[in-house]
Amino acid sequence: MAAAKRWTDMRVYVNRKPVDLAPGMQVKHALIHAGQMAAIEAGLKVYDERGHELGLDGALADGRKIFVK
Amino acid sequence: MQGFRIALISLLLIMSPASRGYANQVDLRILYVNDFHGFAEPYQPAGSQAALGGIACLAGAVDRARQKQPSLLLAAGDMIQGNVSANLFQGQSFVDVMNAMKFDAMVVGNHEFDFGPEVLKERMAQANFPFLGANVEGLPSLKPYVIKDLQGIKIAIVGVVTRDTLTTHPRNLGDLKFITPESALRKYLPELKGQADIIVVVSHCGYPEDRELADKIPGLDVIVGGHTHTKLLQPQVVGHTIIVQAWEHAKALGVLDLQVKDGKIVKFQGALQEINPAADRADLQTQEIVARYAGRIGPIIHQVIGETRLDLDAPRVRTGETNLGDFIADVMRQTAGADAAIINSGAIKAGIARGKIEVQDVYTALPYDNYLVAVRLTGAQLKEALEHGVSHLEKASHGFPQVSGLTFTYSRSAPVGSRVKDVTVDGRPLDLNKEYAVATIDFLAAGGSGYTVFGDALKKAGDYANLGGALTSGALTYNDPGTWLRDLVMDAIQARKTIAPKVDGRSQAVD
Repeated sequence: MAAAKRWTDMRVYVNRKPVDLAPGMQVKHALIHAGQMAAIEAGLKVYDERGHELGLDGALADGRKIFVK
Repeated sequence: MQGFRIALISLLLIMSPASRGYANQVDLRILYVNDFHGFAEPYQPAGSQAALGGIACLAGAVDRARQKQPSLLLAAGDMIQGNVSANLFQGQSFVDVMNAMKFDAMVVGNHEFDFGPEVLKERMAQANFPFLGANVEGLPSLKPYVIKDLQGIKIAIVGVVTRDTLTTHPRNLGDLKFITPESALRKYLPELKGQADIIVVVSHCGYPEDRELADKIPGLDVIVGGHTHTKLLQPQVVGHTIIVQAWEHAKALGVLDLQVKDGKIVKFQGALQEINPAADRADLQTQEIVARYAGRIGPIIHQVIGETRLDLDAPRVRTGETNLGDFIADVMRQTAGADAAIINSGAIKAGIARGKIEVQDVYTALPYDNYLVAVRLTGAQLKEALEHGVSHLEKASHGFPQVSGLTFTYSRSAPVGSRVKDVTVDGRPLDLNKEYAVATIDFLAAGGSGYTVFGDALKKAGDYANLGGALTSGALTYNDPGTWLRDLVMDAIQARKTIAPKVDGRSQAVD
């Protein structure tokens, strides 16, 4: 058996609200968790904390902040 | 006099920083893309009013950009896997397209490993450009870097990929090791400095990570990024490093123009060009390749993978147990090695008629790109999940649970939240305090369809460990983002050849 590799859990923030996800999950999963997919379907977009738009399949990491607007 | 002239010319050459023979100023262009994920055709993104992208239109844009300025064309990973058509050919279609577009180099993304190491080696052998991965050890055909000459300027292109790649199923990685991107860049930078004027990192690490690399490692001139699908409309600068990223899915082409003087970048400008299929002229060669592979999809999706002796029922999947729901949930539970499995009825879109089962049938039944996870739930949380599943019976909602490894009864007339009656797991009464590994799809694990209990369970997650084939944590016992559920179902049908699942009373309404 391979030696265990340790990973930290992944908590991201959608509109400043915490969302806990499994490793490998993407922007869309955070939006699903936060109930924001309807807003995306309505034409809002998702941005990182520097104001750059993100694709829904974009990767996330622990501590990331994303905003739907 | 002639001797003086020779001496003067020699002196000027020696004094010139260009033993390589720099012109006074050289204009270079870097074209860049990332995270295609096999999106060959234009598509209408969620919330968008129009279709965007299309690889043939993007190729046309590349052609036009190249005609104006000699360029390098770079890809920052996750190019060949993802979209249905690319997956059906295990990325072969997209490497053909990239060959036609004459890419100069590509870094492997985490999803390039999803087809397994042997397929990745085939794709690398197929490609006319190098696959890069300076921080990946154990795959000799993966180069750390390549040196290109563009208008007399030596450009080192070094590739690094996120260690998040380790979240892919371990079977896809074999004995590969991933050192940190920072370690790899520090390792190779001295030799790159000796060989090249400009250092370009092609990074599949993510935009925040690219900023950190730029901050920590002086001497990186450009970072072409991917992984986070960030739409950087303009190049960003950290220290002296220019950072770019071109969104996703062939919806944009990045153009970075560099003015190089005496081997150094003295000025730059850049922008993203969004690809509009309604306006942008397609490259005909690329269009032909896309059409050729589209024509080959037919025989693949009509391939017979097995047979069912019974109609596999989907129309009633939102109101009660069905044999198709049972079969899919069984595949989930068995694959994940879980105690139970729950999938929401909304994930199952069509039934399969008795008789031969084609690939297309499974795609139609399971059209969403969902992957399998398993989360540790307490018995109380498992019951809560089932309560949620039967909370909208009146509306035939997409949340009704199809299950495996457990049985439950429920009352239609009882108040919402108190409808679930008797629950057994593996034949034993549910223990509210015991923990059970419950397989589900990523959509539900993220709280989709209102199944918040899975997301709540992940809050307890501490460190994750890779143990004998699955990435686990305190709450996560199985996680395979690189394999779609429908592929697992197809594998199961192919393995069994003939199936005849029957409804066996896993969920029963008592009134």
